[in-house]
Amino acid sequence: MQDPADGRLPAGRSLRSIRRLLSPTGGARFDPLGLVGFALLIAVWQLLTGVIPRFSLPSPLAVAHRIGADFFSAESLAAYGLPDTSLLDSMIYTATNVLIALAIGTLAGTVTGLVTARVRWVRSIADPVLMVTGTIPILVLAPFFLIWFGTGRISALLLVIIYVVVIMYVYAQRAAENLDPVYEEGALTLGASRARIIGDVLLPGTFPQVLGGIRIALAGAWGLEAIAELLGSQHGIGKLVQVLAGSTDIEGIFAALLVLAVVAVLFDMLASAIVARITVWNRHPSSSGA
Amino acid sequence: MQQPAGKSPAIVANGLSRTFRRNDGAEVRALAGLDFEIERGEFVCILGPSGCGKSTLLQVAAGLLPPTSGSLSVQGVPVTGPGPERGMVFQKDSVFPWMRVAANVEYGLRCRGVPAAERRRIAALYLDRVGLSHVARAWPRELSGGMLKRVAVATVFANGADVLLLDEPFGALDYVTKHILHDVLLRLWAEPDRDARRTVLFVTHDVDEALILADRIMVMGDGSIVDDRRVEASRPRSTDTLLQPGMVRIKHILLGHLGLEAARPGDAPAVAGG
Repeated sequence: MQDPADGRLPAGRSLRSIRRLLSPTGGARFDPLGLVGFALLIAVWQLLTGVIPRFSLPSPLAVAHRIGADFFSAESLAAYGLPDTSLLDSMIYTATNVLIALAIGTLAGTVTGLVTARVRWVRSIADPVLMVTGTIPILVLAPFFLIWFGTGRISALLLVIIYVVVIMYVYAQRAAENLDPVYEEGALTLGASRARIIGDVLLPGTFPQVLGGIRIALAGAWGLEAIAELLGSQHGIGKLVQVLAGSTDIEGIFAALLVLAVVAVLFDMLASAIVARITVWNRHPSSSGA
Repeated sequence: MQQPAGKSPAIVANGLSRTFRRNDGAEVRALAGLDFEIERGEFVCILGPSGCGKSTLLQVAAGLLPPTSGSLSVQGVPVTGPGPERGMVFQKDSVFPWMRVAANVEYGLRCRGVPAAERRRIAALYLDRVGLSHVARAWPRELSGGMLKRVAVATVFANGADVLLLDEPFGALDYVTKHILHDVLLRLWAEPDRDARRTVLFVTHDVDEALILADRIMVMGDGSIVDDRRVEASRPRSTDTLLQPGMVRIKHILLGHLGLEAARPGDAPAVAGG
């Protein structure tokens, strides 16, 4: 585990560690093939604009221009009477909601999932409730939430929280069930208390799968939050899309969705880097950083 | 856990029974009323075919499984749950993958509030004795199967248990690694800086392993002890020791108990131990 950068200046080392943190596997080199796929996507898009009329499919360059123009302030959006008049403001609103919902939902879902995997009677109560909730399409719930909680932040938050809770519940429960009992038995015979076992065995032992669940939940949460905003909200990327769709501003919708997609991808990369850092013990030796 | 100097046995079983209920409702007697005594410092191998109840016996001794009836006492105290005075090495790898090797060896000491400096000293000592000083900072994932077993053995010895319970610990290892680990285990067992040897209960289905390690071999079959005999050969024993006429004779008897080979007529009757 010798770090060849040991002799470098502190500045060089921190740059190196940031680069390592941001690489997709948290340790492997950046894979240039990822850029090839991205370039292919843009090329296909550009080619399609030659066939499809501009009011149905704007060109990549036009969308890029639109993002640049509307990013910090957009008078055209203000004309629709939107409170957030820029892509940035809308994106911040949406991202804030997603992260709040992710934090609350992950905590609630993981704790109940882990507890139910170890305490039978809690599971008997919780399983039916969460499994039934999990099968209700969120879009069916949305109108009820709008009636009960209005078009403010709460409705969208609750929808996303329910989604995250169900996912994390299943992931955490399965992680705890898959954890080999030999670890808990080993800790017991070494003299560990039940409380210690939770902190030293159950939590770290289920971490890789729980963190994997958070990434899945995060990926879905973006779309769900946008849809919740689209159905009834005064803010966010979803609201922006809804208003622009009313005036068939395809270019504007593309700009808004592209910003959402880029932010979602960046957050996923960050999440995956953090996961790799926290569960460094779980990484296969041969894939450790070069 | 210092006991008065009296020569009380380390482990006493009285009518020890354990039944399991299978899914189809049938009852299976894994332990059918065992009675035995094991002296302090004795190295006892429990030999038997799979399903004979030998692992159940160890689970009960570790306090991970309560007996259905009867009792088991360790150093005069009835077993009611797990405790650090009884260390266990499992058949599966129980080394925590999320802790570095040294942290694993220290874990039991940390649970019992031993100061950090003392913990580190003890962990370093035992890592050295099992020949793993060079990987103290490594993650368990980076070690081989044999090295992981060394970590598990170092962990229970470092924790200071007086009674060690080993449940087919080396069953999955290759021939050479297994022999090396026998040496490591016996060297630790004969630690010079301890006033008394630890009592060892070693479960195995391997006759040669039992003959190399044991002072005494208890053979189990269908939840009962069907044979109990001493192995008098001097230590250290090697693979050559197993070729001595006395050892070969015992081996044939043991294999007979396992149903592999008919015991030869004229063999000496089993010597009751304890």
